Amino acid sequence: MIMLSSLLSLLMEPFIQRAFLVGIIIALASSVLGVFIVLKKISLIGDGLAHTAFGGLALGYYLDVVPLWAAAVVVVVGAIGITKSTRSKKISGDAAVAVILQLGLASGVVLLSLARGFGVNLDSLLFGSILLVDSTQILTAGVVLVLTLGVILVFYKELQYTTFDESQARASGISTSFFDYLISVLTGIVVIASIPIVGVLLISAMIVIPALMSLQVSSSFKHTLILSPVFSTISVIAGLLISIILDTASGATIVLTAILGLILILGFKRISSTSKQRSQSQSIQS
Amino acid sequence: MSSEKTVARFVDVDVTYGGDVDALSHITLDIYEGDFLGIIGPNGAGKTTLLNVLLGLTPPKRGSVSLFGGSVSASGLRRVGYVPQKVATAEANSPFTVYETVLMGRTPRAGPLHRLGHEDYNKAEEVLRLLGIHELSRRKMGELSGGQSQRVLMAKALVGDPDLLVLDEPTSGVDSPSRVEIYRILAELNRVRGITMMLSTHDIGVVKSLTNRVAFLHRSLLFQGSTSELSDQVLSRMYDYPIEITEDGRVCDYPLEHLTHNDHA
Repeated sequence: MIMLSSLLSLLMEPFIQRAFLVGIIIALASSVLGVFIVLKKISLIGDGLAHTAFGGLALGYYLDVVPLWAAAVVVVVGAIGITKSTRSKKISGDAAVAVILQLGLASGVVLLSLARGFGVNLDSLLFGSILLVDSTQILTAGVVLVLTLGVILVFYKELQYTTFDESQARASGISTSFFDYLISVLTGIVVIASIPIVGVLLISAMIVIPALMSLQVSSSFKHTLILSPVFSTISVIAGLLISIILDTASGATIVLTAILGLILILGFKRISSTSKQRSQSQSIQS
Repeated sequence: MSSEKTVARFVDVDVTYGGDVDALSHITLDIYEGDFLGIIGPNGAGKTTLLNVLLGLTPPKRGSVSLFGGSVSASGLRRVGYVPQKVATAEANSPFTVYETVLMGRTPRAGPLHRLGHEDYNKAEEVLRLLGIHELSRRKMGELSGGQSQRVLMAKALVGDPDLLVLDEPTSGVDSPSRVEIYRILAELNRVRGITMMLSTHDIGVVKSLTNRVAFLHRSLLFQGSTSELSDQVLSRMYDYPIEITEDGRVCDYPLEHLTHNDHA
């Protein structure tokens, strides 16, 4: 564990500041999108697309093209594939995600083993390396954030209606398939931008957990959309600080911090509802 | 109120599920402007499927469906309000408030890339008051009873100023006073504002007293015509079950009428 003075001097380091900045940017993008994903009950899509991205990155190394671009193409195709399978109803949505997830992971492992790993740091792919991000990655994350928020602002009412009830939205003339594909592809783009930060294995948590926290305490849909990035940002800042203090893996620490936050919120909610029920029954008795 | 202008038309429509199970067969039906059409039939008769075909949710295998003179498309559906069959009460953690849900009904009318404005907010307030659920505005959907949820969905359907209201068993799970109030509002909307109604229901009494036309469905259309033609004999024959309409218009379920306390004992 490091001392306070060392921590303060570390926080002044540019690489640490870059880590906080990119972490917050990704937290904002993934958590807003997460609200739609959780409510549409497709929480595993982040996991599915992240593993697809792993296969895409391996393909990029194998073909000797820019790995992130190869992964981006593969993830967008995967996003469309998952949505198409889910909508066709021939197989259930979670099964479709499971198949594509395993396809991405297995392809990635085979391609990496074919070329004896290409000298790739597998740990950084799987668990992220937020402390190593450069200004290009920050810029990419910023563009992804603007794109995500822009799309959600422009199509807010349609996305809200489709999330509320797809059949009712469709019966009103809204092209729900377009919005399903849009959410999937946006998720794929956020996943690609997030891999340097939390890695393939943990990105799904960054999408899902802040939305779950927000849903526990929000008073409306709009409120949920505002609170989710707040919880996500707090988790990233607190998680990064803890990882620096304890010298632990940053991506995993951020995710554990978010999960701890969710457990605390669930606990407070339970205590508050129990005490409310108790006071109600006391007032009835008196 | 009904005119000869066609709002919706089914021509020889067939629907199958899983390729070989007939859900609807040879349905030909016109719904005229100002109609209050009651669709009755036993469970599994295809009432919901018929409405889903009109709403573009279920494609017909054969035949054609038109809406406001055109194909079933986004522009036609924007003029339709839809109250679905009672769905399970929203999940406890559903974040949507009553106000947000009702306001969603303005989405099709506003069209893509347009934000909702004051006119939309005022309309939502007006409909919430009309259906007596204004005090629930800030409550979340997951906190409502089944009956309250149905009223909210009806408000959502009405807020878009529809020309055609499609109601799929809208009062299932609703208590009697609320049910009467909902049907009173529907009758007024049909009579005063001229909104065309398509009501799928098991409640023959409501159909008898509220609608001007009836369609009896059992995979195919066994009867369609004026409500006044709906006699004891017609109903009993179609349901294959003794049904009696009393002089004051009440519908009696014959065997239940003869179940007395003594029978129970």
